[in-house]
Amino acid sequence: MSQRRDGRLGAAWIVILIVLPFIAAVIALGIGRMPIAPGEVFAVLRGAVSGGYSGSELVQKTVMQLRLPRVLLAILVGAGLSVSGCAFQSLFANPLATPDTLGVASGAAFGAALGILLGFDLIGIQVLGLCMGGFAVTLTWLAGSGKDRGGLSYIVLSGIMIGSLFSALISFIKFVADAESQLPAITYWLMGGLDKANYRTLSLGAPVIIAGVILFILIRWRMNLLPLSDDEAKASGVDIRLLRAVTVVAATAVTASCVSMCGQVGWVGLLIPHMCRMLFGNNHLSIVPASVSFGAVFMIIVDTMARSISAAEIPVSILTAIIGAPFFIVLMRRSGGWRV
Amino acid sequence: MSEMTRQSSTPLLKIENGSFAYKGGPQILKDINIEIEPGEILAVLGPNGAGKTTMLRCMMDMLHWQSGRSLLKGEDIRSMPASRLWRVMAYVPQARSAALSYTAFQTVLLGRSSRIGAFSSPSDEDMKAAERVMDRLGISHLADKPCHAISGGEFQMVLIARAMAAEPEILVLDEPESNLDFKNQLIVLDTMTALAAEGVACVFNTHYPAHALQRAGKSLMLSKEGWSIFGETTSVVTEDNIRRAFGVEALIGEVETPHNIMKNVVAVGISEDGSVGADDAAGQSAGGPDADEKVLASVTVIMNGNERAALVNGAFREYNHLLIGRMGLPHRSSDKYIINVMLEGPAGEIGALSHRLSLIPDISVKTTYE
Repeated sequence: MSQRRDGRLGAAWIVILIVLPFIAAVIALGIGRMPIAPGEVFAVLRGAVSGGYSGSELVQKTVMQLRLPRVLLAILVGAGLSVSGCAFQSLFANPLATPDTLGVASGAAFGAALGILLGFDLIGIQVLGLCMGGFAVTLTWLAGSGKDRGGLSYIVLSGIMIGSLFSALISFIKFVADAESQLPAITYWLMGGLDKANYRTLSLGAPVIIAGVILFILIRWRMNLLPLSDDEAKASGVDIRLLRAVTVVAATAVTASCVSMCGQVGWVGLLIPHMCRMLFGNNHLSIVPASVSFGAVFMIIVDTMARSISAAEIPVSILTAIIGAPFFIVLMRRSGGWRV
Repeated sequence: MSEMTRQSSTPLLKIENGSFAYKGGPQILKDINIEIEPGEILAVLGPNGAGKTTMLRCMMDMLHWQSGRSLLKGEDIRSMPASRLWRVMAYVPQARSAALSYTAFQTVLLGRSSRIGAFSSPSDEDMKAAERVMDRLGISHLADKPCHAISGGEFQMVLIARAMAAEPEILVLDEPESNLDFKNQLIVLDTMTALAAEGVACVFNTHYPAHALQRAGKSLMLSKEGWSIFGETTSVVTEDNIRRAFGVEALIGEVETPHNIMKNVVAVGISEDGSVGADDAAGQSAGGPDADEKVLASVTVIMNGNERAALVNGAFREYNHLLIGRMGLPHRSSDKYIINVMLEGPAGEIGALSHRLSLIPDISVKTTYE
């Protein structure tokens, strides 16, 4: 059950990575105020695909209308955030570079908050989020990468600066927002949650995330060139500027789509790629698919907890941090740390 | 500059009047002219800040010459598509441990990038090529180790393997032996010598004039003042030039081993004036005859098998005009070949020939002067 020599995943891992999100999704679909056995869930799902489900209509509605959009959103957001986190880490050759630390998430959140303030619809919010996310990562790049890309901490420091700049702008938006209607919407939305999931939201955000994930899976071997120094990358004979541009645009678009659908959900983009790197090394042949799969599974689990451990819904970003931080420390200590 | 350029149509790599200055800085490279043929090693020497790395980067078009150009097989490098350029030329950076490193095998595989499509992964052929290169450089045992867990010398070899995986005709190495211990320096230099003997041209930056003398047929010496000298190593790496470029009083001597006579450079002290062109017209090497003096000499070569015969004969053929007698003796029972050649001519030329022979790996060479 290991990797091949060139970093490709072995057959056993491929099966696990494909099956695991399915199992997690089927179990999650059954959890809630009305528990449904996995077998029943499976029957509903099969019925939805090929027709012929003859069970209770209430069960079918609960699974298909209430829980499935949410689980699908969890899969998309989890996969999207962790694969773009993985891409950002490699792009900046920095294990600490993630959508959160680079200011992308704050920028996208600012764009989205601005969209809410201006009364945009979901598409408008998403586009504005994407633009601001891209703007933020560009600022970070300009501020943090000087003469040589060697200084690992520069990029993270400037990311923190840019992030706090956009956080201040978000506060400003909250300050000027209408306290009756807009402010609660913005605040609630910023906390991050998947509870707004429905098929309409999904149909707007999903294409970008799915396209981004597929792109990263397709170019995953070439992504191995991303962490190399400029000269080395040039000497590979590959158009490295194009590769970097494609990566930054795709990762930013995916992050912004996630943020616009469910607010700022931190930690996923740092935690999951790291876990994959500790398991498989840094070869993108393995860690891109692994990030996609584990990210989806992680998000399904966390969101299911968020909606089911107490009567009131807990914002998911609180849970990702509470689970993420200690889990990360344990992983790091066990594996003897990561290479900075 | 070089008095013994071989007459071939287009050199493998050529720099024509290359000049470079960083924005707002002084002219650090002025009128660089070099030529490299297949199988040759060129050493680029100079004090810190003289622009050795800059010179390599300009040569490879990672920085752009302000004036002048680099020609690869007669074609301007700047107008070559990257994928074609980097199949002929390969670059070995200084071994710095990188963040997010791969296993040695996966690192070597990256050398195949220009042959692998954007949406593909390495084919079986790419894997075999990587395995072959690692085998050839004797680092197969490192294949599955992560690069951050191997030594600096081993990592340097992995980087050379990565470059060789592209099957290049010319290898450019940035200070391949600095930061390495004695043994690892030797491993890296021997690798370069072996690759050159198989026809790969090598250009390397070095801090050690001795390595140029022991390994490189040609040298380019850069100075902080912007002047440079290019030519046969024996005429470039001289006590005089070292004093002018480095500001160091150095002695070039010879160490005799049972198999060979190796040149070495000993830094004696910091040059008092450091001025250009101090009028000390000493000979090329300590104790040797003057370069122009006509002398008689005998060169003895012992080869193990005839693997290197082509290189040895090629060198003698080039200096045919000095030859006054030759004796070849194959010692068949031990598969050894003994060649004895008598020469007459200027000591400088005979010195250049014996230097050229001393660069060929796996043979024993000695020159005796009258």
